[in-house]
Amino acid sequence: MRLPDSVTGSFLVVLGTAAAYGGWLLPPVPGQPVGPNVFPLVIGIGLALCGLAIVFGIGHTFEEAEELIPLEDGQAAAAPPQGKLYGLRALLPPALLLFYVVAADRLGFIITTAIMVYVTSTALGAKWKLALPLAALSPFAIHLIFGKLLRVPLPAGLLPTPW
Amino acid sequence: MLKTLIEAFALISTWEVIIAMFAASVYGLVIGSLPGLSATMATALLVPVTFYLSPIAAIATIVAASSMAIFSGDIPGALLRIPGTPASAAYADEAYAMTRKGQAELALGAGVWFSAVGGIAGVLSLMILAPPLAEIALSFSTFEYFWLALLGLMCATLVARSSPVKAIAGMFLGLLVSCIGIENPGGVPRFTFGLTDLFGGIEPIPALVGVFAVAQVMRAMLTPEPPPLPRRKFGSIMAGQWKLTKKYHWQMTRGNIVGIIIGVLPGAGADMAAWVSYAMSKRFSKEPEKFGTGHVEGLVEAGASNNASIASGWVPSLLFGIPGDTIAAIAIGVLYMKGLNPGPTLFTEKASSMYAIYLMFIIANILMIPLGIAMIRIAAYILLAPRSAIMPVIMLCCAVGSFAIGNNMFGVVTVAAFGIIGYVMEANGYPVAAMVLGIVMGTMVEQAFVTSLIKSDGSILPFFERPVAAILAAMAIGALLWPVMVWAWRKLKPVRTGMAATSR
Amino acid sequence: MSKITRRTFAASSAAVAASAAFGLTPAVAQAYPARPVTVIVPWGAGGGTDATARIVAAVLEKDLGQPFNVVNRTGGSGVVGHTAIATAQPDGYTIGMLTVEISMMHWQGLTELAPKSYTPLALMNEDPPGIQVSSSSPYKTVKELAEAIKAAPPGKFKASGTGQGGIWHLALVGWMQAMGLPANQVAWVPSNGAAPAMQDLAAGGLDLTTCSVPEARAIIEAGKARSLAIMAPARNPIFKDVPTLKEAMGIDYATGAWRGIGAPKNLPPEIATKLTAALKKVYDSAEFKDFMSNRGFGTVWGDAGQFASFMDKGDAQMGEAMKAAGLSKA
Repeated sequence: MRLPDSVTGSFLVVLGTAAAYGGWLLPPVPGQPVGPNVFPLVIGIGLALCGLAIVFGIGHTFEEAEELIPLEDGQAAAAPPQGKLYGLRALLPPALLLFYVVAADRLGFIITTAIMVYVTSTALGAKWKLALPLAALSPFAIHLIFGKLLRVPLPAGLLPTPW
Repeated sequence: MLKTLIEAFALISTWEVIIAMFAASVYGLVIGSLPGLSATMATALLVPVTFYLSPIAAIATIVAASSMAIFSGDIPGALLRIPGTPASAAYADEAYAMTRKGQAELALGAGVWFSAVGGIAGVLSLMILAPPLAEIALSFSTFEYFWLALLGLMCATLVARSSPVKAIAGMFLGLLVSCIGIENPGGVPRFTFGLTDLFGGIEPIPALVGVFAVAQVMRAMLTPEPPPLPRRKFGSIMAGQWKLTKKYHWQMTRGNIVGIIIGVLPGAGADMAAWVSYAMSKRFSKEPEKFGTGHVEGLVEAGASNNASIASGWVPSLLFGIPGDTIAAIAIGVLYMKGLNPGPTLFTEKASSMYAIYLMFIIANILMIPLGIAMIRIAAYILLAPRSAIMPVIMLCCAVGSFAIGNNMFGVVTVAAFGIIGYVMEANGYPVAAMVLGIVMGTMVEQAFVTSLIKSDGSILPFFERPVAAILAAMAIGALLWPVMVWAWRKLKPVRTGMAATSR
Repeated sequence: MSKITRRTFAASSAAVAASAAFGLTPAVAQAYPARPVTVIVPWGAGGGTDATARIVAAVLEKDLGQPFNVVNRTGGSGVVGHTAIATAQPDGYTIGMLTVEISMMHWQGLTELAPKSYTPLALMNEDPPGIQVSSSSPYKTVKELAEAIKAAPPGKFKASGTGQGGIWHLALVGWMQAMGLPANQVAWVPSNGAAPAMQDLAAGGLDLTTCSVPEARAIIEAGKARSLAIMAPARNPIFKDVPTLKEAMGIDYATGAWRGIGAPKNLPPEIATKLTAALKKVYDSAEFKDFMSNRGFGTVWGDAGQFASFMDKGDAQMGEAMKAAGLSKA
């Protein structure tokens, strides 16, 4: 997901301009010399200027420090498979969270989270011997802590918990 | 004095208080160490429990849980690079770098030791400095708050290890996020796109969970499983801490003092204290080039700072009912509930209860050392478990924790969205911490600016006329110009730039 | 905390023996409540509304013999939680705490919800706004303050207490109107709640605040501010020295932030009657009274009918004030 600075910078220019325009449209508030439009306007312009600076590579010289700590061990050791679809794997966690939002009320907490755990675990390379018991047990453990002890109203759905 | 102290001892030496304190300590340690569950949330979730407790036991649980949670947020920060609480976010990278250098016990030991020291320093401030300090903070008007908040925002560029331009861009992104909703001075819906869930704006906690926890799971999806760390037992956690204390006693003291001051200031809490102290440590260090590579100095100062702010956050709370931070805001609610209404009269009429609070803070911070060491040793097994077993559970905690904040599924959507934002930002060298700072401080900056202008009938003079405001203004503008000056300096002296780059 | 609902029961083919006990008896014949009741609070844990809801739930639980679980549904400045109450099944197993915002937000065009979207059950609390000045202020009585406000150019005096368009802002607007002054005679400085406003008052940044007296209590007791009057029909027993507006200057204006218990629309009348009766017992209980007076919260009782007409009256009053302040979209 490493994009060229020109791409991220241009995105910031667009976002900043949109924010400034959105702020511009807001109506003033009676009795306030500075309305709700000013803050988004300033931020939008600031963001767009930063975007421009990034496109032109200003401040780029500071970035070598970023490489000091590789995010994980062994990045250099095993080159990750380079497919077009491989990068999309990163979207799995947020997709699973959205799945939770959609499904939890219907399927219930236990079933939904069991699916989430199984998929995440398998995607990270776990064998079914680990993923299956984990998916079976961890939802109950979390439900015990949050649902039972902290009284968070977790949806029961199809499979109510024994407590 | 002595009589009230004895009375205070009698108040806290009941089984109810002792058990409540111990249980809350363990609870705080566990919640604080779970990524995404902040100390504030741990405290808020305790409130229902305090209904069933006596006043002193109720306060004991809050004191113990909040102190422990702020420390134990360091644990996942050091072991997994996921800060357990926002207060540990400032130096999570540094602590993780130390772990990778094989110094996990030193990093975590510094966490527990300097947290305890900081906590006790905070209590001392609560005891000795409470009245005069609160008096100073109380005379702050919105003009001072504006500069203070702006100064806080400037910390974003100081702590960043990458391009200051990208750091500022990240900060602006955070500020833009803070614009969402109707919680602005005008009470007008902004950038809500007609969605009811966006009216209240983006809550900082789910945003934090997203950028720190979900983004971490996302990164794990693309990177191969790390080779197992050498299986070794943690060495002595406290060994070397005394040496560090002697070596960095000035940094520790400075961290304590900064933490105390920031804690007293309403609105700014442990996370702010950690950011400012870490930045200060880097700026004033003799070896700033070591920062970010696994250097303990910043950890000492920031760890001493965030815990010091916990107790001092109670200073304005107890005296005036003004919360020093979000945890103290919850504590005020419990104080009222238990008939200990904040106010100066507390210190005369209910003196023994006040001493009981001091004592509980001291005990909690002493208790932190053995319990914290035990917790570190248990938590260390996380390193031995495969990633494919931890990450799914972290995902569950993200989903449930973000839901539990408002019992609202929108929290989970927020977490997912900020996971993506955090992941993309991180991958492209935009510091997410700067964005988080923007989200947290945005409303405060705007509120202070707009209300100040209303009060001055549109004149900007009072921003510079009031003496304290003028000092803060000079500091804020200096911090604002700092990156520009550094950039200009490097442009003028290209040779030096090259040398600096290679020496890193 | 059993989460077994009737719908779940119907859907779940694996009927366990334990849950059968709930399902076999016909639902109608069951004495309400047969299972835990959820109490939705539209505001966060730790606040005044949350605390009030929790004490009410605790006493209800003792009286009706089923758990009353308080659930904080925050977000959207109260809109999310109020929506959740309005859209829940009207079976008596979801009730909620309604707050004054429900009579304000629809005027601003933020939501369709209004007091008529609910089955009102009981009014439990109302806190009238006070008029506070700094202890260094030259105005010793509300009359002196009012004279000075009248004499000054519009916007010279600055007041605060909550955000723009919040309840204390409208209280100020209402007071100005009652004196025959324009809504913008006193400039409103939005603040993030009463506590920061009181602090700013003490720091000398404001001329007056119109938050409730309990909210101002800590600063008043610290000797940094004083309360000149309250906008209520009667004095607060905890602050006996503070006169009402009527006593102090003959203006018959009263308003307040209130909290009551409501349920989704079309709640079966027998359940509503039962809940209102139980809430009356809560209101009369020593625990509730002690709790409310400890926190300085005012207690007001209104049964279902009184609560409904109270909300209607308040709704109209709020609409008027909002129109005057230029905040209304309707």
